[in-house]
Amino acid sequence: MTESSRQNDRQLVSRCLGGDSAAERLLYDAHVERIYRLMHRMAGDPDLAADFTQDTFIRAFDRLEQYRGESSLATWLHTIAVSVALNGMRKVKRLRGRTESVDGVEGSPHLVVGPTGFTGDLKARLHTAIDALSEKLRPVFVMHDIEGYTHEEIAGTLSIPVGTSKARLFDARARLRLALAAFAGDHIA
Amino acid sequence: MNDDQLDEILTEAARDYNAPGDVPRDAMWARIAAARRQARVAPPPRNRVWLWASAGMAAALLIATGISIGRRMERSSTTGVSTVASRDTTSRRDSAPAAVRPSEVSAASPSASLATRPEPARDTTGPDKTLAYQLVVLQHLAGTEAMITTFRASARNGEADAQVGKWARDLLGTTRLLEASQAAQDPVMKRLLEDLELVIVQIVQYTNRGTNDPEELDLIEQSIKKRGVITKLRGTLPGQANLPGTRG
Repeated sequence: MTESSRQNDRQLVSRCLGGDSAAERLLYDAHVERIYRLMHRMAGDPDLAADFTQDTFIRAFDRLEQYRGESSLATWLHTIAVSVALNGMRKVKRLRGRTESVDGVEGSPHLVVGPTGFTGDLKARLHTAIDALSEKLRPVFVMHDIEGYTHEEIAGTLSIPVGTSKARLFDARARLRLALAAFAGDHIA
Repeated sequence: MNDDQLDEILTEAARDYNAPGDVPRDAMWARIAAARRQARVAPPPRNRVWLWASAGMAAALLIATGISIGRRMERSSTTGVSTVASRDTTSRRDSAPAAVRPSEVSAASPSASLATRPEPARDTTGPDKTLAYQLVVLQHLAGTEAMITTFRASARNGEADAQVGKWARDLLGTTRLLEASQAAQDPVMKRLLEDLELVIVQIVQYTNRGTNDPEELDLIEQSIKKRGVITKLRGTLPGQANLPGTRG
């Protein structure tokens, strides 16, 4: 994060705290796309993603005075967003009364592999396996391998060391490979 | 198949994982702005059903506020005794607040209200702030009970419309704000807010779909009953239970 972008963040926050509604909208417009995308990747549902995104910004505006400029505004917002999404998903799971696990996935029916090497069924299986990753592994995998965040950004967002982010990604990939291999081993020559 | 091949498949297949569509930028901003406005001021009633419900809630709050302020003023003149306000408005203990023994506190009902909780350590710099804060929470809970009651009545007749949905969505935002606030430091209140959030989410989804699916409605009813949401709400709102026209 450059000093000038940090300065811009501070100025924007300062304007928001001064009651400048145009600045609030500017802040929202600058970050909403990336946050919504991440929320959708984590929630898998447009309504939930919208709810989580709204909640993120409501909380952020409510706590804006707590932003000290030590990290980028984007990182600060993403920290709130991931927290909102994880809490929200816990509640959704509780509401739906179901939990999924990689073990459960392995018993699901298979389809024959197509010429490209994987089928829609294999893809669905992988998606279910991603769903089943733990709360520590899934955000890292989604942020890095799907949304393209750097380990530095992930570390800042999740308040973990960069090395931990890398280790979690390694672990997540290994688990997904395992879930995929059990399937692919039977059907891909 | 080796790890590299698996990684290729993994990377390609993962790209579609929960792929987002267009960002509903303006719709979300409208809700954020509305939630922030609502956090600053209480929303006005929107139709006659809500008018009556809200009037009842307002009366209940007024009475609760009066009792609460009266008791606080009384307490401020006594020292060294931990007191508790009663939610039983039929009793005549207003002029002589009872001392609370630890055993009574621990045996209190899970739905013990803000008004029945023992006083926290007093912040001598901001008792007015604490009182105002509690009033906001009580007002929100009263509004939530009114919304759930209205929803149950209207949904039974297949009349749960977008207005109820909007009302529920507004309340959902405030509920989540309260969950992130000092109100949630009280485990009883935290649990109540979580239960409320689950029920309100169901109501929002039900009204969003607008299908009036009886099975879905039944699930919401079960959720309300299983979690004892109405009972807990009424237990938390002091004096309300005895007011006419406030029962759903």
